[in-house]
Amino acid sequence: MTAKMEASEGKMPHNKLMTYGLVIAVVGTYLTYLNVLTGVAVFSFFGGIAAVAALWWGSDTIKHLCSYGLGTGVPSAGMIAFGSGAIAMIVGTKFGIASPIVTVILAAILGAVIGYTANNIINMNIPVMIMSLMELAVVGAMTMLGFAAMATGSFEFNQLIIGSMSLSVESAGVAAGGAQTFLVTAIPQYGNSLIGGAALAVIFFLGALALQHPFNACLGPNESQDRTLMLALSCGFLSMIVVAIISFVFIGLLAGTISLIISLIAWFYCYKTYIDLSKRDAYAWLDSKPIIEVGGDQ
Amino acid sequence: MSALGGKAAGGDGINMTGTIVGIVIILVSIGITAVLGASLIVPLIGIIIGGALIAFGVHFVPVGGAPAAMGQAPGIATGVAMLAAGAGLAGLFGGAWAYETTGDFLISIIGGAVGGGLMMAITCLMVNATYVFAMGIPAASGKIAKDPITGDTFPEYKSQGTEGHGLPFISFVGGVIGGLIAGLGGTIIYIELLDAYSTGLATIMQAEATAIQPLAISLAGIFAIGFFLVNAVLAAYNITGTIEGPHDPKFKRVPRAVIGCAVASAFCGLISLLLVTNIGM
Repeated sequence: MTAKMEASEGKMPHNKLMTYGLVIAVVGTYLTYLNVLTGVAVFSFFGGIAAVAALWWGSDTIKHLCSYGLGTGVPSAGMIAFGSGAIAMIVGTKFGIASPIVTVILAAILGAVIGYTANNIINMNIPVMIMSLMELAVVGAMTMLGFAAMATGSFEFNQLIIGSMSLSVESAGVAAGGAQTFLVTAIPQYGNSLIGGAALAVIFFLGALALQHPFNACLGPNESQDRTLMLALSCGFLSMIVVAIISFVFIGLLAGTISLIISLIAWFYCYKTYIDLSKRDAYAWLDSKPIIEVGGDQ
Repeated sequence: MSALGGKAAGGDGINMTGTIVGIVIILVSIGITAVLGASLIVPLIGIIIGGALIAFGVHFVPVGGAPAAMGQAPGIATGVAMLAAGAGLAGLFGGAWAYETTGDFLISIIGGAVGGGLMMAITCLMVNATYVFAMGIPAASGKIAKDPITGDTFPEYKSQGTEGHGLPFISFVGGVIGGLIAGLGGTIIYIELLDAYSTGLATIMQAEATAIQPLAISLAGIFAIGFFLVNAVLAAYNITGTIEGPHDPKFKRVPRAVIGCAVASAFCGLISLLLVTNIGM
């Protein structure tokens, strides 16, 4: 492969960035387990933090992969990341308390097979292909798991598929004493859950858009790592705002409001910093003004 | 078209080592699935066939990318991932609706194919209307001198310095065929997953089949989208972004995409079918 284009000399090495991203994503997802330990749902926002960390890492991976000429544009990398990540994430949630770890492992294996397919069967011959698709699959899976944990307060399959319980009352006949007895059973309702209501599909595309946008928007000769990653954080928190709104349905008003406020503040800060960094990198910055109306007959 | 303008080295040949390893991966996936549950083999084979059909279909779709948007290359002016996702999802909706209404496998996959083909036909028509009436460019292919179907000649209409522009009739036909095949593949994957989940989830969760139905539909839908995007992007990598349609020389690369997507689908299918086994629960 000869057409390697240097994007930008990153200030932070990619491996260090990957370590931070992976650790924060896994730890953040696990912190939502505080919900179960304490019995309140206010710790759900940690899932969003985990997802944003994964997106932050994924944006840098996309930069590495797409600086080789793939020919398909940057967004396709985000799509394959979430296509494979979604499969790993849904199956990974079945493993109870071990779900985040299993999700990472499953996604890495899946990404490695897809990377091998792309590199050796389809003959892409790009040195970083297998590693990048592995990383991207993990990013996609952890982003979806983080956002799902944020929306429902749990990362376990049973919590993601059961929306509410309804009571079924059946007559159990007349007991010995002559009183009518009833058999009351709780029936789980699947249709109004995160997966059953297909809110997971919304999370899928919220994550995919946040992953594919930053490098696509910032690439070019003047690309700088801190600006791209700040845009990634900004996009991640923007998606987190929408997930926070979805989470009102599942985790209630208080926890949902906390998530919403945190994501709004974080998004505002990151967006403002991103604009500042853009001004720093720009040759000149001209604020456009409304057309001045000249008085008179004109 | 790459954002940074580089070209991926690929060539048209088939990598023998990679292909053999790939076939081993397919066989191992089928073997593991057979051990996990004999009833899961049919869905897995359906998924593999569906993935291969998606890869085959994507090669027919005239993808122009950014150069097409500037009138410098023929095709629809967007990337493969977007086009394939559009055609695939349109097909998926058509097929899912037909399956819910009739419950018949054959009618449903034909419904899915028609949905995908219709979406591509509308896209191609409106793209050409935009090219001709808004951008003022005639349809001309740079890869061939004469349209194989209508016999129209291209060189006298092709602008200098471009690879052609607009959407010739052969590309239009290719787009519709691609939509048909890709929609067919996507719908097969969806229906096979839906069948596996409807019966499998009801068994392992000890719930009634009717109660589990919304869950099975959502899961099958999300997984089908995932499969579709993986296969479409792999096929896009194979054509390195742009293709004019079935007459393009890049079309010769189709075998390795079919093998590659079959391998990826087999392994993704194995993982997705783990959901209805006892592993982890």
